[in-house]
Amino acid sequence: MTEWLLSSSSIIPIYGLIGAILTLPWSMGMVRRTGPRPAAYFNILMTLVALIHNLILLRFIWHQPPQQVAYQWLQIADLNLTLTLDISPISMGALSLVTGLSLLAQIYALGYMEKDWSMARFYGLMGFFEAALSGLALSDSLLLSYGLLEMLTLSTYLLVGFWYAQPLVVTAARDAFLTKRVGDILLLMGVVALSSYGEGLDFSQLKDWVQTAPLQPFTATLLGLALIAGPTGKCAQFPLNLWLDEAMEGPNPAGILRNSIVVSAGAYVLIKLQPVFTLSLVASDVLVGIGVITAIGASLMAIAQIDIKRALSHSTSAYLGLVFVTVGIGQPATVAFLLLFTHAIAKALLFMSAGSIIFNTTNQDVTQMGGLGSRMPATTVAFIISSASLVALLPMGMFWTMQQWLQGFYTIPPLLLILLLLVNGLSAVNLTRLFRLVFLGPPHPKTRRCAEVQWPMAVPMVTLSLIVLFLPVALQQLDLLVRTENAWIEDVLLLNHWAMPLLIASGAVGCLFGALIPLRRNWERPTQVYLRFFQDLFAYDFYIERVYNMTVVWAVSSFSRFTAWFDRYIVDGGVNLVGLAAIFSGNALKYNVSGQSQFYIFTIFLAVSVILGLAFSGQWEGILDYWSSAFSG
Amino acid sequence: MLSALIWIPILGAIAIALLPPDWEAYRYRKIAITIASVVLLWTLVLGYNFNPDQVSMQFVERFEWLPSLGISYHLGLDGLSLPLIVLNSFLTLVAIYSTDEKIGRSRFYFALMLFLSGGVAGAFLAQNLLLFFLFYEFEVIPLYFLIAIWGGSRRGYAAMKFLIYTALSGFLVLASFLGIVWFTQGTTFDYEPLRSSALPLDLQFWLLGMLLVGLFIKIPIFPFHTWLPDAHVEASTPVSVLLAGVLLKLGTYGLLRFGVGLFREAWIVLAPGLAWLAAVSALYGALTAIAQQDMKKVVAYSSIAHMAYILLATAATTPLSLMAAVYQMIGHGLISALLFLLVGVVYQKTGTRDVRVLHGLLNPERGLPLVGSLTILGVMASAGIPGMIGFIAEFLVFRGSFPLFPIATLLCMIGTGLTAVYFLLMVNNVFFGRLTTPVTQMPQVQWSERLPAIALAVLIVVLGLQPSWISRWSELNTATLIVDPALRVEIPATDLAQQNKIRQLD
Repeated sequence: MTEWLLSSSSIIPIYGLIGAILTLPWSMGMVRRTGPRPAAYFNILMTLVALIHNLILLRFIWHQPPQQVAYQWLQIADLNLTLTLDISPISMGALSLVTGLSLLAQIYALGYMEKDWSMARFYGLMGFFEAALSGLALSDSLLLSYGLLEMLTLSTYLLVGFWYAQPLVVTAARDAFLTKRVGDILLLMGVVALSSYGEGLDFSQLKDWVQTAPLQPFTATLLGLALIAGPTGKCAQFPLNLWLDEAMEGPNPAGILRNSIVVSAGAYVLIKLQPVFTLSLVASDVLVGIGVITAIGASLMAIAQIDIKRALSHSTSAYLGLVFVTVGIGQPATVAFLLLFTHAIAKALLFMSAGSIIFNTTNQDVTQMGGLGSRMPATTVAFIISSASLVALLPMGMFWTMQQWLQGFYTIPPLLLILLLLVNGLSAVNLTRLFRLVFLGPPHPKTRRCAEVQWPMAVPMVTLSLIVLFLPVALQQLDLLVRTENAWIEDVLLLNHWAMPLLIASGAVGCLFGALIPLRRNWERPTQVYLRFFQDLFAYDFYIERVYNMTVVWAVSSFSRFTAWFDRYIVDGGVNLVGLAAIFSGNALKYNVSGQSQFYIFTIFLAVSVILGLAFSGQWEGILDYWSSAFSG
Repeated sequence: MLSALIWIPILGAIAIALLPPDWEAYRYRKIAITIASVVLLWTLVLGYNFNPDQVSMQFVERFEWLPSLGISYHLGLDGLSLPLIVLNSFLTLVAIYSTDEKIGRSRFYFALMLFLSGGVAGAFLAQNLLLFFLFYEFEVIPLYFLIAIWGGSRRGYAAMKFLIYTALSGFLVLASFLGIVWFTQGTTFDYEPLRSSALPLDLQFWLLGMLLVGLFIKIPIFPFHTWLPDAHVEASTPVSVLLAGVLLKLGTYGLLRFGVGLFREAWIVLAPGLAWLAAVSALYGALTAIAQQDMKKVVAYSSIAHMAYILLATAATTPLSLMAAVYQMIGHGLISALLFLLVGVVYQKTGTRDVRVLHGLLNPERGLPLVGSLTILGVMASAGIPGMIGFIAEFLVFRGSFPLFPIATLLCMIGTGLTAVYFLLMVNNVFFGRLTTPVTQMPQVQWSERLPAIALAVLIVVLGLQPSWISRWSELNTATLIVDPALRVEIPATDLAQQNKIRQLD
């Protein structure tokens, strides 16, 4: 029974894939009579089956030690590639987060995508997406994780590019793919190097290998940096952060998953790779640096956005930055997992709420909204609950995560506390600002006739609201908040003592600030020059895109233009020149051909006498000697 | 047994040539498809009877042909030839099947296609140096006509360029083969591994250098590549499929069989340089592809980049990297064939391949949605997205050569990253966006036109998920190409049992 249950875990990712394949008759246009809905129902059913299967397994293995299921995939010469799955409470918990949120997002999409002609294609992509994410949750092998991350890159590209006829979507899809690909290629370099140096690519093997790692510091640093790059792209961290913001051009139900669990997937791999980063100080420092820059920078960018989805997606980058910092300074993995978990659930609900607003107002610009509070009560409640859960102020998700972190089991560097205060405060400012713009104030022409969303969107939203609301209770019930392997640390008590009150204060100050700042509607601009400067700076993402265009994009495009020119005029031109010269000299030589036999005989005679003369005068042997010496050396 | 692979297509070609000239084109096509199917079936029968655990040549056939010249008709099949033979038979069928039913001068066309297939099979099977050379040169003739007659507007130029380049390539290969037999005072041209080891090293360099330049033209490797984009752009779709899918592999097959096989000592000395050349070629092909506006040129330059990975893997000559070279040959054969097929469909339906003109072809009602989806699959496979054969092939190449040539390998990996750039730009331009008016009146794509592409796509995915199906056939044989103890030291020996297995084979 146990064996069978364990091995059945590998089926869970396949459910999503089956769902995706089942949509093919509809998405390829072979079945038209029924409309695309059956494809959606198949997918939702498969996800439901996956969730149930997953919950049964989770219940079964809850108090059991982690186990591995390994599959021999490919063995060639000295290379042995196994794909290993990790069956532990953590992986199963992550898996249930994936399947649960995927189920809710798919039901939500029934409403959100109801008028879309290629709904079947959308569900096919969602199924594929879910399969890759589920696989990633279970994977215990870096190779498998790398493969699945690439699948995520591909499906993100296809989902962002879903409405491919719009120009902004085309660039967004391209940027999402290429930005992630940059990270992935560097990660692949790391994987290849690790596979060459190390014992194997399983995370557990890596952990053991690190203890004895016979690496030069320089190599270890490069290796660490390469391994960081992949998650940096996936989690939308600086300098690979812009794709997430652009990806908001895609359909919202995919955005729900992208901002909650897809970004977390990158961080999940990062957390599992943490032992390797201990090999190099530089790599750890870079990890912290990336996290800090992104956490602060993205929080600031979020405040200046007028697109509701972009404002929320920048905040996603900021929270993932915190995870990077935790991994970089070697905080325990449980904290990082908890951070990811609470953020994912709250962010998913925020995006559902934002999706409802966008769906009913057909507008993403918050400066053209207002007064939705009384018109869309369920959406409003969902927004409030998710915001409260994201900001450490009221005793909800993030509050308890921080409480767990800061209560004194772990050493907290003072700078980390400052970072937490900043992110928490700015996040509170951003959410309060959005809330006022969207739900309060007088109604705008675009929001005046709004009603609450229909049930396929409302039901998952309300369900998730309840889950978020009762999350702290559930965490307590499952003993997730108190268990820790460390002992109470006495000497840092003072800092830890003040950490939570300070954090709550930062949340309160943020909310207050957000409640008091003047709001600008309908593209109003501040009058003061310095305010305008900062608004533009944040709103245009610190002009990072321009920096990209002037550096990487410029370099690649000018290199490619140069090689194309070189290819055409130098390499091929040289070849053509030789050909031309041959034709020309042939043409010129033909004037030598006089047709008089005396001339030919004279030429032959001349040539033969030269050769004979050389042969008899001993020069010939010299030539022969020269050649044979050249060959025999 | 093996002769059938060569002579069924050639005799079939002669038979087609002798048919009455005034038949409808589709009848010749049907006959050609039948012949190609028989060859494919026979290939599969051979593959089924092939014993992967046997290290030496199998199904050997040998007749003395011209003993005074040392030429014997000597064929054999091993794990290196087998995948390429299967690839050849399969892609020949794909190419003939995807030929337009109303093609002009069809009798001649199908006869040439079959001649080509037989010639290539001969080259992959030949165990005599001169016999290899004969087949290597022989396939140039039908290919020249296929480009020169059924090509695009500049077909004359492209075909002539192809002919001159390939003739030079053949000449250099022949010179190298003559040299090795002459200097070792041999009486036959039979292929024996390690043949040159008795020769002084710098003489080996001369001979290997000639062979390498000859093969580099064929592969092609920068700077000997300029015939390829022209030939691809001017050739018709089925010819492009065969050219990229199979014919280029003659060059890399030559590297493995003759470069590594005959000149091992010189090869090891030259290997670092070869790895660098591979890196340059990969980056050069990828960067040049970014700037191209013609879809076929993009795929052609991508071919140059991807073939360079085979050179990289071959340069490393570890058991793993040689197997990786086989994977990359199969992977590139299938993927480039798929991409050329799809570009061909786009060209046939819209009348252009210019990425500046084509937009929004994914449109489900008036565009080419399935062709677009398959193209996305093809370019993703080419860019090395896991789950498809392109990934595992490239991963093995990089993993195989990284311990020996880390920097060159990393440069090649950047080339892989650039693959995504040029192909994504192409897909974004051609398939995404809004359908433009000049191309809205397109004829329907028939299922028969989609079938070969779907078959290739399925193979790409299946082999990507189950790569061990390839290594099972080839591994022992590619491992025998390396018996040099000096090189073995450099391989990090992690799996002792495996290492011992190879040592026993020596």
